[in-house]
Amino acid sequence: MRVVHYLNQFFGGIGGEEQAGLPPEIRPGAVGPGRLLEQVLGDGTQVVTTIICGDNYAAENVQEVTAMVTQQVKEAQAELFVAGPCFQAGRYGTAAGAVCAAVQEDLGIPAVTAMAGENPGVDLYRESIYIVDSGDDVSRMRDVLADMARLANKLAAQGVIGRPADEGYFSQGKLRSEFVENTAARRLTGMLLSKMRGEAFEAEVPIKSIEAVPAPPPVPDMSRATVAIVTDGGLVPKGNPDQIPRAFAQVWGAYSIDGMDSLQAGEYEVAHGGYDNRPVEQDPHRLVPVDVLRQMELDGLVGKLHPEFLSTTGNSNPLENSRRMGREMAARLIEAGVDSVILTST
Amino acid sequence: MTLTLANHPITAFFAGPKTLLDGSRLQVDLEELRRYLLEDQRLESVDLEIVGPGDSCRVGYVFDIVEPRAKETGAGPDFPGILSPIAAAGQGTTHVLRGTAVAVVDGGQPGGERGYTSRRGGIAKILEMSGPPSQASSYGNLRHLVVVPHPHPEVARHSVLNALRLASVKASVYLARTAQGKTPDSTQVFDLDGAGEDGRKDLPRVAYIGQIHGHQHGTEVDENILYGGNTRGMLPVPLHPNEWLDGAVVVSYSWGARGLDTYFHQNHPIILDLYRLHEAKEITFAGVVATTSSGQLDELNRNCMVAAQIVKHTFKADGVIITKYAGGAPHSDMFETARLCEDLGIKTAIMVSDTAPDRRAESAALMNIPGVDAVVNVSEAADISWPAPAVETVIAGNPEVETLLADLKELPGVSVCGVTNNQGASRLQSIIY
Repeated sequence: MRVVHYLNQFFGGIGGEEQAGLPPEIRPGAVGPGRLLEQVLGDGTQVVTTIICGDNYAAENVQEVTAMVTQQVKEAQAELFVAGPCFQAGRYGTAAGAVCAAVQEDLGIPAVTAMAGENPGVDLYRESIYIVDSGDDVSRMRDVLADMARLANKLAAQGVIGRPADEGYFSQGKLRSEFVENTAARRLTGMLLSKMRGEAFEAEVPIKSIEAVPAPPPVPDMSRATVAIVTDGGLVPKGNPDQIPRAFAQVWGAYSIDGMDSLQAGEYEVAHGGYDNRPVEQDPHRLVPVDVLRQMELDGLVGKLHPEFLSTTGNSNPLENSRRMGREMAARLIEAGVDSVILTST
Repeated sequence: MTLTLANHPITAFFAGPKTLLDGSRLQVDLEELRRYLLEDQRLESVDLEIVGPGDSCRVGYVFDIVEPRAKETGAGPDFPGILSPIAAAGQGTTHVLRGTAVAVVDGGQPGGERGYTSRRGGIAKILEMSGPPSQASSYGNLRHLVVVPHPHPEVARHSVLNALRLASVKASVYLARTAQGKTPDSTQVFDLDGAGEDGRKDLPRVAYIGQIHGHQHGTEVDENILYGGNTRGMLPVPLHPNEWLDGAVVVSYSWGARGLDTYFHQNHPIILDLYRLHEAKEITFAGVVATTSSGQLDELNRNCMVAAQIVKHTFKADGVIITKYAGGAPHSDMFETARLCEDLGIKTAIMVSDTAPDRRAESAALMNIPGVDAVVNVSEAADISWPAPAVETVIAGNPEVETLLADLKELPGVSVCGVTNNQGASRLQSIIY
């Protein structure tokens, strides 16, 4: 197997921080840790090319470096690309992640790197590439390279990659359904007993805090504010013109209420499979309260009701997709001069 | 309260001139059963078929799957509030025809009726009897009596659903009455008396809170869920676990009720496992609470508070397992109940179900509440599907579904009954890679 290896100036044996501005250099064969890498990858493997690049140069010229590395890997006809291990070196880890992701994406060959958990390269690239957990102890170089080699050989052979903890790589945050030995009931009682006894247990979902949404500053004067209604309850005009699906919606719609005092039942329907739609279809104001807001507008309690409402379906929507639609909706409302939004859900 | 399950394993299930149980061989007079089911005047006709493991057969759409059970004569009510007058379930002897089931088919169209809608407008629940999907299902190794009731066209939809429910329990009891007076192969005794006795005072007390319906889907006024009631306006109810196992609880209507079947109320995996631990003297099984997920915030706060108070002050529990109804919204009630229990000093373990369509772990972590950290993740099989084999027989509720099921190219895991399960029976886990 032909391998290309990426190193920074320090592990490439050129120098320390004073050499961090070094542009990429191409060396035939293995250099430094690459010699060990060759050994642990086993017979028939050869590091054909080593690319050494200064940390600052890579950080400041990411696109140039990734393009150059990808070209070199291609020319070398490599079947595997390895970067690092980078341990705690942040610029090195970030560059290694970038070149691995680029090689894998552009050339379709496996790419492996290794870093310590605190390395910023982990959070940036863990979802797209395999990053072996190196820990922060550089003296474990041989063990880390052995872990990388085991994973790399499996990837190159298109073998089945086991769970992160078993294979030693950082979780890529991907969900895979598997049939396991114990029923969910058994796992529940087992986990509860462990928790009650003060023993270790492991949750089957990521336990991490979801970012808090800071409260926006108050609207200084509602009687002068333009107010828009936005809903994720799926109210759409009859016929569902944007074909918003009943779950996993990728699209949202903007629907005119210009000059309307109320929404007529029968002219709207609900595209949302997560609740009993009947109460809203009987009276759309239960979800999109145009009637009350129009009255408040007449009474001078709000400045102006924005002449369209925005709608999508929140049902089973992935966070990433919800964030995108939220940004798109906010941009449209800001452009229209809306000061305040009433969000209704179900 | 002592419940004795008298187990009669069935090794052969076939149609014949007379309904009888001969050892482990169950013969059923389909004409007699048909006449019995057609006593319900809402029904115009009923198709009955027996299918078994490995049969090249596909059944859909499934309304519910029920294990054939009948009380010994004089021992108490069968499905009280639905089939029998209301009386306490959970005591005396109940005969069980192990290895069999009644699968009832709904001839309605998913998505076509309000309040009983398919989540994605796609295919609804299917029973598959051959190939890998059947091996992945809890129901693939059972012998099923498939009941396809055809209502008169003028019968209102809610009443059709009520007729399907009635047919399901009538067929179940009809079959299992063949075991009355017969000596079972084995018995299981369920009894919590003595929970306060010596030798138990140092054991942790563990309770279970289970959602039996999700009110975001509403209910029909004549829908039978708990002792025949529709659960509208219901506060959490403390039950004896035997009531849950013995016909007090059946599943609600919903094409969206993925991974919920009456079969696993009767064989509730969490209740059975807590009984196992109780008998092993690892815990004292303190009791169960039936609750619902809410359609409104006040209802949510009220129900979660009451459930936590029952577990704390009535059951005096040290730990509790909490599960939810199918879908996403019921997570809110489950997490809030768990938060309140943890605040009261009760350790919790909960079961979420992952439906993340993008298969990103981030999308599966719906909530994060400090202390609510023991979480089991049941996959709803969003990434599992099988090539649909051509089958010799399709049993469907109407011709359109029959054609659709016959031509099916792919069987999504979420649509195959018994693959995913919100009652704890599933071995399908969402694992983070």
